[in-house]
Amino acid sequence: MYRRPDGIVDFDKSICIGCKACIAACPYDAIFINPRDHSAEKCNFCAHRLDMSLEPACVVVCPTEAIIIGDMDDPSTKVAQIINRQPVSVRRPEKETHPKLFYRGAHQATLDPIAATRPPGNLYAWATQPQGPNEIGSGHPSPSHANSSAAALLSYDVSHKMPWDWRVSLYTWTKSLAAGIYLAAVLVAIFGGISWTSTLMRWVVPIGSGAFLGLTGIILIADLEHPERFYMIFTKHQWRSWLVRGAFIIGAYSIVLLVHFLASLSDNVVVQQRAAIAGVPLSLMTAVYTGYLFAQSKARDLWQNPLLPPHLFVQAILAGSCVLSVFAIALDLPSRDALLWLVSISALAHLLFVLSEFTLGHPTAHARLAAHNMIAGKYARWFWPSIVGVAIAVFAPWLWWIASFVALIGLFLYEHAYVQAGQSVPLA
Amino acid sequence: MSDETFYQGPSRTHLASYPPKERWNDWTEIESKAWPKREEHHYSLVPTTCFNCESACGLLAYVDKETGEIRKFEGNPEHPGSRGRNCAKGPATINQVKDVDRISFPLKRAGERGEGKWVQVGWDEALDDIASRIRRAIIEERENEIMYHVGRPGEDGYTERVMGAWGVDGHNSHTNICSSAARAGYAFWMGIDRPSPDHANADVIFLISSHLEAGHYFNPHAQRIIEAKASGAKIIVFDIRLSNTATHADYWVAPQPGSEAAILLAIARNLVETGRYNREFVRRWWNWEEYLAVERPELPRTFESFEKAFLELYADFTFEYAAEEAKVAVQPLREIADLVAGAGTRFSSHNWRSAAAGHRGGWQVSRTLFLLNALLGAIATEGGVYPNAWNKFVPKPIHATPHPKRWNTVTWPEHYPLAYHEMSFLLPHLLREQNRKLDVYFTRVYNPVWTNPDGMSWIEMFKEAGRIGLHVALTPTWSETAYFADYVLPMGLGPERHDIHSYETHDAQWLGFRQPVLREARERAGEKITDTREANPGQVWEENEFWIEMSWRIDPDGKLGIRKYFESKKKPGEKLTVDEYYGFIFENSVPGLPERASAEGLTPLAFMRKYGAFEVARNIGKQHEIPVPQSELEDVVVSEHGRVYTRAAKPAVENIVPLPAPDDDPDGRRPAGVKIDGEILRGWPTPSGKLEFYSSTLATWGWREYATPQYIKSHVHPENLKPGQMVLNPIFRLPTQIHTRSANAKWLDELAHVNPLWINPVDTEKLGGIVTGDLVRITTEIGHFVLKAWVTEGIRPGVVACSHHMGRWKLDDKGQRQMAATVGLDNDGSRWSMHRKSGVSAFKSDDPDTQRIWWTDVGVHQNLTFCVQPDPISGMHCWHQAVTVERAHPGDAYADVFVDTEKSREAFEKWQAMTRPASRFSPNATRRPWWFLRPLRPSRNEYKLPV
Repeated sequence: MYRRPDGIVDFDKSICIGCKACIAACPYDAIFINPRDHSAEKCNFCAHRLDMSLEPACVVVCPTEAIIIGDMDDPSTKVAQIINRQPVSVRRPEKETHPKLFYRGAHQATLDPIAATRPPGNLYAWATQPQGPNEIGSGHPSPSHANSSAAALLSYDVSHKMPWDWRVSLYTWTKSLAAGIYLAAVLVAIFGGISWTSTLMRWVVPIGSGAFLGLTGIILIADLEHPERFYMIFTKHQWRSWLVRGAFIIGAYSIVLLVHFLASLSDNVVVQQRAAIAGVPLSLMTAVYTGYLFAQSKARDLWQNPLLPPHLFVQAILAGSCVLSVFAIALDLPSRDALLWLVSISALAHLLFVLSEFTLGHPTAHARLAAHNMIAGKYARWFWPSIVGVAIAVFAPWLWWIASFVALIGLFLYEHAYVQAGQSVPLA
Repeated sequence: MSDETFYQGPSRTHLASYPPKERWNDWTEIESKAWPKREEHHYSLVPTTCFNCESACGLLAYVDKETGEIRKFEGNPEHPGSRGRNCAKGPATINQVKDVDRISFPLKRAGERGEGKWVQVGWDEALDDIASRIRRAIIEERENEIMYHVGRPGEDGYTERVMGAWGVDGHNSHTNICSSAARAGYAFWMGIDRPSPDHANADVIFLISSHLEAGHYFNPHAQRIIEAKASGAKIIVFDIRLSNTATHADYWVAPQPGSEAAILLAIARNLVETGRYNREFVRRWWNWEEYLAVERPELPRTFESFEKAFLELYADFTFEYAAEEAKVAVQPLREIADLVAGAGTRFSSHNWRSAAAGHRGGWQVSRTLFLLNALLGAIATEGGVYPNAWNKFVPKPIHATPHPKRWNTVTWPEHYPLAYHEMSFLLPHLLREQNRKLDVYFTRVYNPVWTNPDGMSWIEMFKEAGRIGLHVALTPTWSETAYFADYVLPMGLGPERHDIHSYETHDAQWLGFRQPVLREARERAGEKITDTREANPGQVWEENEFWIEMSWRIDPDGKLGIRKYFESKKKPGEKLTVDEYYGFIFENSVPGLPERASAEGLTPLAFMRKYGAFEVARNIGKQHEIPVPQSELEDVVVSEHGRVYTRAAKPAVENIVPLPAPDDDPDGRRPAGVKIDGEILRGWPTPSGKLEFYSSTLATWGWREYATPQYIKSHVHPENLKPGQMVLNPIFRLPTQIHTRSANAKWLDELAHVNPLWINPVDTEKLGGIVTGDLVRITTEIGHFVLKAWVTEGIRPGVVACSHHMGRWKLDDKGQRQMAATVGLDNDGSRWSMHRKSGVSAFKSDDPDTQRIWWTDVGVHQNLTFCVQPDPISGMHCWHQAVTVERAHPGDAYADVFVDTEKSREAFEKWQAMTRPASRFSPNATRRPWWFLRPLRPSRNEYKLPV
């Protein structure tokens, strides 16, 4: 996606890797993956027609000339005269995207996708509602909460697909583990809880973190619509994207893990300790950058959460300490108790984050709906088991490895509920 | 570059809306799919005409010069009706062309009729077989056993002339399930049976329909209605649903269905009572004197007494009464009357189906609506309503064919002498009643099994031994009716056939040309193509060439006198080609076209092939006010009420648009005009020459009580409903589907594919809290069907509605796979039941999109459960149903249909008993008023009733 000199946001399908971050970011759900070529596409005002000096197709075909196009900076144009002289609206001005698509005479219920109620029975007035785990129909699912005083009922909609499925949930989980095993171990080691020469530090940390980091990479690539183009993240990057930044962070972190592993082979603790100077911030960044990536998904109000980075840090520590504690138990290492307490404390911290997130309320209707979907809606079946799982882990010092396993499962369920619920709000 | 045409679009920028016509032969376009790579493709832009609805909007086919394939359809800016714009159904033509399930080869039935077994045959074999049967029937004087049954003709007169050439009264249409009622209402006023509202220039637009989204001439009219609205026009809409049209209205009234005429009469009465009407127009142009003479002979023959008589006639029609009948508030009706009164002659109105098509007496809805125009003088005025014949141009063909010397009583039965037109949907009943058979029955893009009421009786007709000798389905795609055919012959879609047509989209006359676009593209590239099959996909043909070929085979040596009508004029004895047929018309029969073409250095045919349309005239004006020239006045006789008869021969006309033919005077003088204030003017093609407030035709054919515009209580008037019954409106349209014609368009199917029952929460509460998606059972007079509820406040309480495009089915895998469910059909005597075996699903084909079919539900077929309900006067099937709505019974499944055809027959008898047949009521021992319009008019002698 790029902005043309004339202001049109256009797309280049030849370098689209299909990461869908643009879809997650668009507050209008205007971007979609074209099933024919698996690349992102959107309305580009028929740029190919504009370049032939033709009006866009929708302008030409409309029987009642309800759509027009023009240069709004030129006050003599018809569009400029309408925009400058008549009351016009845009969709979701609060997102501060300054959209250039203006509506004249639009009703609130037609601009706000959750103003009207989504009908039950998988029906619209003359079509069915597409069903499927990733289909997001417009309209508010609950008639009593729809945000329209006129009790509007949605009669028709073209549903949208949420861009990120279980693979992204799984990726946040494996990435948590990849970052957390190393980070938790090093932090505990700094305070003397783990010996730098222990099996944990020498083998479990680099192999464990490395394996999960590798898995993270595989999942990330598998999630791309064009996996064969994954290298373009590095060669054709767009620095403002946290997906790109994250890829570089993960890349740098993987080097640290490699150094750590090689140092283990040669028993060189000093190198490992010096590598940790880079390793701690890189693993931390690996854990938390997703918070920034999610925040960049401007469309998803639930994810616009300033506490998300520290929460992701806590999740990484919980995930890491779970794995480390299991090995410590299995190998009967002295660090066992410290790690089990770390599981307990981080589990508690996670629960506090979750609790504060869901007791404090949300500033926008979209975030509220997403939270509702997570706690009481479609994703409650993931959310509540996750809470139970992590709550059990609070008792890790007494329950040992059972707590760790349950906590890891709970964490994944939570990631899934959170990632899916965040995308479950209709935007268009 | 600057010499090129610049098509200014709505944005009013430097951007054009269409490629300049100078480059249509080689248009370079950047490929959108390769974007942002600038991949250039070269196209031949070939105009044709959309064939999805009757609007006949212009399309421009983009034919890829490299691959020779049609890439897409856009609008044709040279088309005066559609002006380059289209609804969704136009561009979706590409889906139909590329439909993987289309019929590409002639097929012949292999097993029993309806068994679904087919073998591919050659065109020659099919033609010879069918032609020999027709020839035998003609030779054996069984002409009435040949019938051509057409859905949307989409052409002006070609096939009618084929029937005429064969000497067969075999034309049958779909009109009686569509527009008979509205036509009758307009025809009783002005002879001409269609309105042509000049919406664009109106101050007030009165629509009894969902016209903005779905009406006749939807796209051409919608653009003009919105144009008027943008300039401040007010819109009044009567519709029981909150349609998209209603949402754009200044006044939306959802009256009790069938009460519309009561409201309209109350408005009319108010206009006269308050003196807010065009007194001078009414005095000059209504046949009020005739009314007074017959109905109020005691009154002095003055206009003042007519005003008095008018108010007495409609004394009951107060706003209070109208509001009570309509079950709406009084105040809005008063406000609407004020609005109407203020419109003056800029008052356009339209009713085509909707209420007119719904009710017994529905023809009085269009009649009382036009009454408002007649009161305001908003007829043939800017912003008023024209008779369609003035806004339509039909050119003379190459050969004029004779009037058949036969009268077919299966299509024109004696019980319905005033019907507009053929009693088509009664065919199974009339064949049985008259003990008749059809030897060759063509259905052409017509699907009576599905579309008509009482489809099971049609299935019985097709299955009954000996009733239909040979059923030939001419269709581009599978239909429920085609399953019961003996031959299925693939005919071209809109861009694969030749036709000419002209419609009353606004105050102008234009001629549109439909052509096979690949044929034209290849001709442009230098090829010579003499048969459309060479250019069409598979062996798909077109009817023009098919009928020429068929007629030659019926009469190979010309001895039957048929062949000559299908011979070349330039080279007698040789077969007529479509090039010569249309070349002749464009050269000789369309005023202004040869001059316009030669200005561009083109032959008239080449001009039409290049642009697809030609505007013959615009701003037609008041034809009725034109004085009759002295040369036409010879041995003149003026009747008591001013009708002027002459002995002078009728001058030749260029426009042969069908017009009513008022009778000559007893001495054989023809009616030439009417005397108004001492001046002889053209007037109207009615018996009186005036606008007929009083129809002497109705009065003398047994319906004196309806000789003036009246309110007839519908068959679904609350007084006629049994306790607990509701009114079902089964005919509302959607903007993105068109009857059974669009199931082969994947884009349209994805947009709209189900027809749940619209029902108001007030009613669902009475039924115990039904919510959207719950199954409900609708019981009609002859059966029931089961569907889902769509609970909405957008419909009047007490009324339910179900859109009619959905519920397509197939008996096995043959047929449409994206919009037709597979069903089982069981039969036990007269009891028929249908159950759904499976909905639709994704499938593999050459088109990757068929694997992306995500919908499974395709709606419910309701028409099967409707008995025939022919209006005793107009002959219109009265679509609205008195039904019982209840929760589905245990064991009911979605889309179940049950019908008892024994009850259908009883209903047919019951409705027929309401008629006043010609044999008892004809004033002159004829079958039908001679002056009425009638397709394929037989010779006058055939009008006589048998003694």
